[in-house]
Amino acid sequence: MSENIDPNKVWPTGLTAPEAEEIHRHLIQGTQIFGFIAVLAHLFAYIYSPWLK
Amino acid sequence: MIYGKIWLVVKPTVGIPLFLGAVAVSSFAVHYMLLTHTTWVPKFLEGGAQKMAAVAAPETTAAAPPTALVAAAPAIKSQ
Repeated sequence: MSENIDPNKVWPTGLTAPEAEEIHRHLIQGTQIFGFIAVLAHLFAYIYSPWLK
Repeated sequence: MIYGKIWLVVKPTVGIPLFLGAVAVSSFAVHYMLLTHTTWVPKFLEGGAQKMAAVAAPETTAAAPPTALVAAAPAIKSQ
């Protein structure tokens, strides 16, 4: 499907397809970092608090 | 990155704050409900205050010296 999209076409949001993909890449990376910190925080909470005990 | 093309139809200035706001609101709601609907989270966050209060409570001092004689000291036997 992506090969059908013209990479130079400016869409209603003012972005081209490569620009949209770049924004999405950063959003995914941010989500992964947030998720990693959250998993770490929950691990510490599980170890050091009465949670689930 | 199969969903990257969403930003062709949704403005990132709208979609990204909406996404981050949804994450913030939902995680706050979950933790707030844990704080208000469980007994152990507030107790844990309170720390050792209750234990220390329980230890400190029995320390009572007499307001005045006793006026009535409760028991007399045993008499010393002479040999």
